[in-house]
Amino acid sequence: GDALLPAPQSISILSTNMKHFLTWSPVIVQGATVRYSVEFQGEYERDYANGSWIPISECSLTTATVCDITPDISATVAYKLRVRAELGATRSRWGTMKGFFNRVTTSLTPPLLRVLADGHHLLVELADMGPAFQFRLLYWKKGQESRVQQKVMREVSSVVHLDTMEAGAEYCVKAQTHVEAIDRSSSFSPTQCVRAQGDTSVRL
Amino acid sequence: LSMTEIRAGFSAIKANIQSRDPIRSRSILSHPHSLHKVKSSDRCCITHHLFTFYVDKVFKHCRTEDSFVNRKISSIANSFLGARRRLGQCREQNNCVCGEESTEKFKQILANYEGLNVTSAAMKSLGELDILLDWMEKS
Repeated sequence: GDALLPAPQSISILSTNMKHFLTWSPVIVQGATVRYSVEFQGEYERDYANGSWIPISECSLTTATVCDITPDISATVAYKLRVRAELGATRSRWGTMKGFFNRVTTSLTPPLLRVLADGHHLLVELADMGPAFQFRLLYWKKGQESRVQQKVMREVSSVVHLDTMEAGAEYCVKAQTHVEAIDRSSSFSPTQCVRAQGDTSVRL
Repeated sequence: LSMTEIRAGFSAIKANIQSRDPIRSRSILSHPHSLHKVKSSDRCCITHHLFTFYVDKVFKHCRTEDSFVNRKISSIANSFLGARRRLGQCREQNNCVCGEESTEKFKQILANYEGLNVTSAAMKSLGELDILLDWMEKS
């Protein structure tokens, strides 16, 4: 019965930029392929649905020891996760992750940013991070750090025009992400500076 | 309150849920008057009432044989809990006063709900979620 197959151990969640993965240690049975099934329980299930658990079909009878739980962790409430091992008709007890997981604890990394000067045009490229993310860009003319300008972007198109630069001047940009669903922001990306085309000495 | 995730979850199962509602002639949320007739001063209170209605009465009677649908209902239900918590903060700051109109309107919704058997009423209420979301996002 169940006692022959130990429950999975070291169950934990890796969560970065609102992508959440459940991982566990493999259950080793010599010469056999052990499979695993994962279930989740949100605050609603705990408090209003008799503590019911909901299976994640993509991680039912999987041989992997990782499960993408992102689609199911879609509310900012406390979730519990559990995994069991299965070998033929034999099933282990459930291994339940210690404590709760709330997506508000996801780690947010600064956005990947590329700053370009196209003649007099200050352009930026941002890597798309999914619908949950907004971007906040700060940019300024070097030497005028007190006159920082801001642009907030909800959707990311490939290249964004930030400003028209003065000839020969240097402009700097940095960016952070913001996730409205959890009301948190990443740290800023490293500052990048570019120089506008043209000669600064040309002044009338 | 961002309804984006709730709307995404509902859109994924809307056709499935609405196909389970055989009674087209009746409405839970819109009978006899649309939500749009609610005064703006009563909006917060009606919204909080409706979140509680869905959490306490509706979602638990909507379990289906379809795992994907059940997961999306869980997602919506848990999002409702999060949203209701934020609304609760408004109530604590007395920004969510319940006027006579909202009390009457909510009584009517409960009467509509209790006029059907519980599973039909729950499934119909869930199928009308876009009515609630449209009304919430319109203001």
